[in-house]
Amino acid sequence: MSESGMQYRGMEDFPSTRLFGSGTPMCAGCGGLLVIHQLYDLLGSDTVFINAAGCMTLLSVYPYTPFRGSWLYTAMASAPAGAQGVRDALDILLESDRLRREENLEVVVLTGDGAAYGMGLSATSGALDRGLDFIYLCYDNEGYGNTGQQYSPATPHGAATSTSRGNGGFRGNKKDLFSLWAAHNPPYAATVSASEPLDLARKVEKLRSLRGPRMLLAFSPCPTGWGFEPAQSVMIGNLAVQTGIWPLKEFIGGKVEHTVLPEKRLPVEEYLKRQGRFAHLFASSAGRDIIAELQGAVDRYWEGVR
Amino acid sequence: MYRIRFHGRGGQGMKTAGRILGTSFFLEGFDVQDAPRYGAERRGAPIFAYVRASRSVIQERGVIRRPSLVVVADDTLAGLPEADVLGGQSADTVMAILSDVPEGTWRSRLNLDSPIVCIPRPDAIKGYAGQAMAGVCCAAVAARLCGSIPKSTLARAVREELGFLAPSVLERSLSEASRMFDSLAPYEAVVRDRPDREFSCDNPPGWVELFHDAAAVAAPVIFGGLTSRLLKTGMWRTFRPVIDTARCRRCWWLCSSFCPDSAIHVGDDGIPAIDYEHCKGCLVCVARCPVHAISAVPESRGVRQENGEEAV
Ligand SMILES: Cc1ncc(C[n+]2csc(CCOP(=O)(O)OP(=O)(O)O)c2C)c(N)n1
Ligand code: SF4
Ligand code: SF4
Ligand code: SF4
Ligand SMILES: [Mg+2]
Repeated sequence: MSESGMQYRGMEDFPSTRLFGSGTPMCAGCGGLLVIHQLYDLLGSDTVFINAAGCMTLLSVYPYTPFRGSWLYTAMASAPAGAQGVRDALDILLESDRLRREENLEVVVLTGDGAAYGMGLSATSGALDRGLDFIYLCYDNEGYGNTGQQYSPATPHGAATSTSRGNGGFRGNKKDLFSLWAAHNPPYAATVSASEPLDLARKVEKLRSLRGPRMLLAFSPCPTGWGFEPAQSVMIGNLAVQTGIWPLKEFIGGKVEHTVLPEKRLPVEEYLKRQGRFAHLFASSAGRDIIAELQGAVDRYWEGVR
Repeated sequence: MYRIRFHGRGGQGMKTAGRILGTSFFLEGFDVQDAPRYGAERRGAPIFAYVRASRSVIQERGVIRRPSLVVVADDTLAGLPEADVLGGQSADTVMAILSDVPEGTWRSRLNLDSPIVCIPRPDAIKGYAGQAMAGVCCAAVAARLCGSIPKSTLARAVREELGFLAPSVLERSLSEASRMFDSLAPYEAVVRDRPDREFSCDNPPGWVELFHDAAAVAAPVIFGGLTSRLLKTGMWRTFRPVIDTARCRRCWWLCSSFCPDSAIHVGDDGIPAIDYEHCKGCLVCVARCPVHAISAVPESRGVRQENGEEAV
């Protein structure tokens, strides 16, 4: 798509109307909620959201919902299977003329990282194999937020969670879900951050012009689980991008392209030092070694980019 | 038995308060129950924590309806029906409230004859960053007022419950607990250890027969959109954002796009307006406005300004 053909050139092209409802029970400053409302403002109500168990299950607690359109709750591992059922039902209704073309809905999976990187992988891979026509939004808060921030396969190395409280924090490494998706060769996959709404809007625009399995992996700062003041929620997102910890990129036409190239990357400390979950790394020499390791991994990543 | 009820907001450490107090009693040889209570709501919403401590086996269960001590971490909760601060208070219930408003004012506002201990808010819990420390302070308040817990035991409990935190945070918690404990010496043991209730044969509940409706009737299906707006999350706020419309440049709705709760709407005139019924007071908008046109005002002052009782 040519640059000039794009709808979102600047913030002035942004929707000024908020389609997503207020009054949800998410924490003040929730980064996951922020990305959901930004996406919803762009997609609108001709959608049906299939929600894997997680914090966002609480968006719609009977009889309250922030959605204008539909929402369905599934077990933690099963959202893509739920999406298949809903898509099939819509297709049958369309084919048998019981639903008009203009009444068709976009099927959107809404899932946390615990489900997406972990127990939901198999159902997701199956949906990709079948070429299911759906959007897959993973809000990545790097842990099991809903149950008190236990570590998940998306937790970064060294982060303290309620199940990795020792001096070294989480021993494992964050899984690369973007590459797992790319390995399935889907029509579209991208990473986004709500702190970069323009980049997000352009990606949503591209993804809407395509069909089949399409993923958005959204960096989602979690004040409660990560230990920072809610007011800093967007700033934490900026720093993740500026330090190069969260690369903004897309997979389209079989190729990976970076959509934002941080000119001069900030040191990762700038990002880490603002979050309680990394505080222990600054308190010991072993912790300093982990910081150096994290910096090394980021440096190696970007060396591979250009 | 001591029956202690803590009232605070999500993020103010009420669960921690209950744990520290419970562990303190336990270390002194008491039988103890401690349990927090909260709903689907998150940080900012009213939260309860309950502690029972007795020299004999505790037979009571569930929420504490007849407290011997009520500790209120956040005085903005006193006027919120949802927080139910006054629930079950009787003539000998002691209410301790962290507040800079004098005791007499609370006595007349709440129409209470029972003892009120009004404790000026420690500097450590002012501002957003310090809020979690309120839990530690409240545990110290309860320990002193109950009078059965020496200071050394309180410190041991703080270490036991918060030992996993960074050493600097643990040290600060210990010194805040100690300062609070010392400052309340005149109130040592004002809460009385009441006799336990006898449970012989409680009346069985009056059963309500539930019958099965057809799925089409009974399934939890929501037919209307946007019903979440009926939930007024504005009561979660401790600080409120206030827009100075003279200073606002009507930029391209930065504050509105970045408000996680869709609580800022932009009118046709391009001027943003905050929906105080739903704004949770995260202050993201304050941090994002490029011309600093939004400021954070303590909620209590914001309410007074709204009512014309104080100049803006
Ligand atoms: C099979 C299964 N195991 C455990 C749970 C309990 N559970 C509910 S939400 C949740 C955490 C989900 O984490 P994530 O997917 O990252 O979403 P978040 O809570 O962070 O929004 C867990 C473990 C569940 N619902 N189903
Ligand atoms: S725990 Fe984190 S992700 Fe979950 S609602 Fe709170 S801020 Fe959002
Ligand atoms: S403080 Fe600002 S950003 Fe946060 S909920 Fe209120 S209006 Fe929205
Ligand atoms: S961000 Fe600031 S300048 Fe922009 S519309 Fe909001 S208040 Fe006005
Ligand atoms: Mg998660």
